[in-house]
Amino acid sequence: MSVEAPDDLAQEHEALLQFVYMAPAGLVQARSDGEVVMMNPVAAQLLMPLSYDGDLSNLFTALADIAPDLHSRLAAFAAPQGMVCDGLHLPVPGVDKGERRLFAFTLIKLDDTRVMAMLQDVTWQAKRERLLRQQEAWLSAILTGVADYALINLDTRGCVTEWNESIGRVTGHGPDVVGRSMAVFYPEDAITPARVQDRLHEADDTGWSLDDGWRQRAEGTRFWGSAMIAPQRALVGDNPLAAATGAVAEPDYCLIVRDMSAHRDAAESARHAAVCDHLTGIGNRRAFFDAAETELRRWHRMPRPLSLLLIDVDHFKKVNDTHGHPVGDAVLRHITRVMGETFRQLDVLARIGGEEFTVLLPAADLASAQCGAERLRAALEAQPAPTDAGPVFCTVSIGIATMDEGTTGVDALLKRADEALYAAKHGGRNRVCGPPMVLAESA
Amino acid sequence: MNTHLALEFAQPHLLDTLLALDAAQLDTLEFGVIGMGIGADAMVRDYNAFESKEAGLSKERVIGHPLFTVVAPCMNNFMVAQRFEDAAAAGQSLDLTVDYVLTLRMRPVKVQLRLLADPGAERRFLAIRRL
Repeated sequence: MSVEAPDDLAQEHEALLQFVYMAPAGLVQARSDGEVVMMNPVAAQLLMPLSYDGDLSNLFTALADIAPDLHSRLAAFAAPQGMVCDGLHLPVPGVDKGERRLFAFTLIKLDDTRVMAMLQDVTWQAKRERLLRQQEAWLSAILTGVADYALINLDTRGCVTEWNESIGRVTGHGPDVVGRSMAVFYPEDAITPARVQDRLHEADDTGWSLDDGWRQRAEGTRFWGSAMIAPQRALVGDNPLAAATGAVAEPDYCLIVRDMSAHRDAAESARHAAVCDHLTGIGNRRAFFDAAETELRRWHRMPRPLSLLLIDVDHFKKVNDTHGHPVGDAVLRHITRVMGETFRQLDVLARIGGEEFTVLLPAADLASAQCGAERLRAALEAQPAPTDAGPVFCTVSIGIATMDEGTTGVDALLKRADEALYAAKHGGRNRVCGPPMVLAESA
Repeated sequence: MNTHLALEFAQPHLLDTLLALDAAQLDTLEFGVIGMGIGADAMVRDYNAFESKEAGLSKERVIGHPLFTVVAPCMNNFMVAQRFEDAAAAGQSLDLTVDYVLTLRMRPVKVQLRLLADPGAERRFLAIRRL
């Protein structure tokens, strides 16, 4: 009897060993500095092509090329244990036959000295998922009633790769549109080169990117349309090979521009009800936060100028008290009309409080945000609001904040704009204030 | 008796020598040997004592199972399994040594694999030595 027990244990141990040998996912146990304690065959198989000399003694070193920040991620993870990252997608450059892969990586902190990692090759899952999404997007593009649509192939930079009749029909562009950025289909102030890149990135991340708004034909007239971008490539991520050689690659994205003129009213009124302020017709609080969060995500992927104006109407209570609320409402509508004339289509205008407005300015640094804010302030100072009680003059105070590394989120950005607004109010109203540092410089 | 122990991983004509050895003789070798059938499933026929000890798996668990799908999925790739398949498809003999990393008892170990096959032989071999 006593002989059988250790035997059973050995058998069990062996079965367990084989179980881990055959596990279809890569499993690694490592010390907190990345030194590998245990690793199963799939983990080795996945990591080996990444390692320069086949040395798999350190997990973080083996993954350095595709996830250089693991060390700092783990260091920044304050909890005594828990999930450091869960299914993080890591694009892996192609080796040997040049095929790009996608890994899903999970890192669990066991305690201060040990971590557990799981690594899976999800290239095919991602590809399947992408195809499904693409089909879905295509179906919606085709099945949703539209006046007409143009099918446009784009390269990695978002430039048109070839002309076809649908492009001519919907946009009026001839074959000379080939090689030009998709921005050519937008009114001039409705898109920037950075925004084109954002849309392509978003299409990569989610399978497509869709936006409704004004589009522009070759001869300059506008139509209400939607633009959907769907990635055409088999795999996710950039295509460094094509970018490096500058070769005109196969189409990387498909852009469908739909003429929605016929459906604009219905689609717009539904959208309007959800995200627009009922009084002034500009964005509401929700629209502002949605747009700001999207912009901040874009900023974190690729930092570029991004500014926020917080606008408060001076002595608005007095207008209401003196003339009544209908006149107050007319003043607010006047202000949003002037805002609409002052800023670009790209900028996001919203009413986030009773007499408080925001303007989110993508691609605007502090200087140009100050310029825009000053233009608005001066225009309102000069033009009275037409109301039933006659022209009513009303000025605004404006606080500016600009996005930087130290700003953690929308709330933080808004708070800084609010501080600047407070300074503008206390400086005597009808003025524009930026961040404190700028005040010190101009003083 | 000692002739078998003197067999070297890197010696010439290793395939012919291994084909002539029985299981007990394979067990005396100082490097790992896995013998498999010539079918597409690469059924394991030989699993010597050295390899069994290194991997921590007994012969009973391995012999009679397909090598690349059940026993060693970590070698089911273009570096190992594909080369055996390509050689078989082309009707060519194979004698190739590659550097590899195996996870023996869950520790990554640098090894050399010697891939041995011949269209005329009814068994193929994988020889394994630690670096």
